[in-house]
Amino acid sequence: MGSVTFDILTTAGILFVVASGLMIILGVMKLLNFAHGAFLTAGGYAAYLTGAAGISPWFSVPLAGIVGVAFGLVVERTIIRPLYSRPLDAILATWGLGIVISQIFALTFGRGVQFAPSPLSGTIEVLGIEYSAYRLAVSVIAVLLAIALIGLLSLTRFGLNARAVIVNEDLARGLGIDSTRVRAITFGLGSGLACAAGALITPLLSVDPNMGLPWLVNSFMLVLISGVSFPSLLLASLILGGTQVLISTFISPILGGMTIVVLAAMILRLNPKGFSRA
Amino acid sequence: MKLKKVLVGIACCLGMSAYAAEPIKIGIPVGLSGANSVVAPSVVQASELAVEEINAKGGVLGRPLQLEIADDASGAQGAQRAYDSLVFQKEVDGIVAMETTAARNAGLPIVNRGRVPLIYTSFYEGRSCSPWMYINAWVPEQQVEPIVDQFMSEYDAKKFFLIGSDYAFGRGMLKFTREYVESKGGTVVGESYLPIEGSDWTAIISQLRSANPDALITSTSGGAPNVTLTRQLRSAGVDIPYGNYAIDEGTAKSMGGNAEGVYLAASYISSLDTPANREFLQAIKDKFGDDAETPNELSVPQYDGIYAYAAAVEKAGSTEPSAVIDALSEVTVEGPRGAIKMDKQRHAALTMYLGKVASDGSVEVVKSFKNVDPGEQCPQFAD
Repeated sequence: MGSVTFDILTTAGILFVVASGLMIILGVMKLLNFAHGAFLTAGGYAAYLTGAAGISPWFSVPLAGIVGVAFGLVVERTIIRPLYSRPLDAILATWGLGIVISQIFALTFGRGVQFAPSPLSGTIEVLGIEYSAYRLAVSVIAVLLAIALIGLLSLTRFGLNARAVIVNEDLARGLGIDSTRVRAITFGLGSGLACAAGALITPLLSVDPNMGLPWLVNSFMLVLISGVSFPSLLLASLILGGTQVLISTFISPILGGMTIVVLAAMILRLNPKGFSRA
Repeated sequence: MKLKKVLVGIACCLGMSAYAAEPIKIGIPVGLSGANSVVAPSVVQASELAVEEINAKGGVLGRPLQLEIADDASGAQGAQRAYDSLVFQKEVDGIVAMETTAARNAGLPIVNRGRVPLIYTSFYEGRSCSPWMYINAWVPEQQVEPIVDQFMSEYDAKKFFLIGSDYAFGRGMLKFTREYVESKGGTVVGESYLPIEGSDWTAIISQLRSANPDALITSTSGGAPNVTLTRQLRSAGVDIPYGNYAIDEGTAKSMGGNAEGVYLAASYISSLDTPANREFLQAIKDKFGDDAETPNELSVPQYDGIYAYAAAVEKAGSTEPSAVIDALSEVTVEGPRGAIKMDKQRHAALTMYLGKVASDGSVEVVKSFKNVDPGEQCPQFAD
């Protein structure tokens, strides 16, 4: 029973980390970033390259984050910004971008599976239960990240501007907020978060050109029901991730695989706003 | 008399140089794209090497062999296109196919309609029968026995836990494993599956830990699901004897320490220390240099398969399909895996090797099991 509790907490932590980049972009830019899966993959390859270069695996996450921010800023300037007035085209553009990125990885690294070293190996004993050390570390990082992101949105100037853009972009611009800049920073931040998340989950998994795809679907569902709020994303991750673990453990892992999608659809049917109170 | 033979020989050679003897076409449907694209290059290289070697020795019945390679996209739709073009447009004389079960099943009706001898060279879940098909790779009967026997005798394992990907091969292998374990007096304390692309094994690993088995056997799809399972097992501290049906040498190598101690059973392991295998490894290296792919459990049967087809044509004296089909069960191929004859209801008895992954990711042969019988695969072809 104890290890199931840990399974739920760590799964929720991983889901939160993976979905946060998608959510911040959706919230501020009203843009569903379908390249999110490819950004996760990019983070995975960043972790692989860090490992291959002999750098401590602890640095792979910040390195992937930095690369992601830089890449996100370039993508925003060249691909997303010209399409601001055409939101549907922008979504298609991110989808295309995702395909291009994963094909570039396939050409560069091959279709095979690569590995990134894990900074923590083996298990540690917590409350009398042997549990994977790295999964626990990821959960701790998820909680810290949630606190940092909530702080960023509610305590900083950028956060204030971003919240103004989220609520009413025209009004925000009228008040002198440079919404183009807010959007650019947001996209950079979102892709940085995605890359860092990819690097963070890679030691538990393996890297291949399509590793981000299943995560994209789950993140999408979580973001749909959580709305634009980090606390509600955390709640959504806990409820959906927890249900997934419970169904996988006690009924069937095959049903567990579709839990998040089905549950999200049911929640949206009963309450179209999901968990968001905004 | 002797002079006459020489004259005939000269005439023959003159004829060949004037218009070369018409080649015997062998079709190779293979997954150049899709799931099999990782292993496909090694399969193509093995085919090319076999054809080159046979042609260098004068071909078959004086005719050179020629390859027709077609991408089956690792699935049913692509295979239909590939077989259609090979059988009806390229009009190949025979087909040697390393491909997925889905692709083989899609190709069989076309092969039956076009009456083309097919040698299937991928291990598979067993019991696929067609009057036009032979199989020279392993089936569950040959793979399961070495691993289960080893765990029962070496580790005194009684309680087994089985984990698989949810698809025909994964379920077929584990169903057979369960029956075999139970027939040997063991019990299966858990059997769990994840969807085929699934890679989060958290819940299953929790089930495994609470079931507390003596040994673990997994049958996932290759690639990411397999390696993520192995990594997550290791990070969860699972260290019971662990047999893996989906791991091969290349994967073990790339996983390094994570795969240490994993058992596998194979009809070919590249470290096999036999003259035939050393020669084969050298030939691949000589022909392809730096681009040479490591020969493996899928590429070596392909190499054997082309030799088997050539030998059958030689024995039948023509490429006439039904004569070749009859001859295929009578010819023996001496390849890197040893002598192989497909005389067991269209399948072959194989020498299986039990391997264990060492800490550097290389596979060492622990034991060999001579001529493991494929069992009752296609009773309608028993003779």
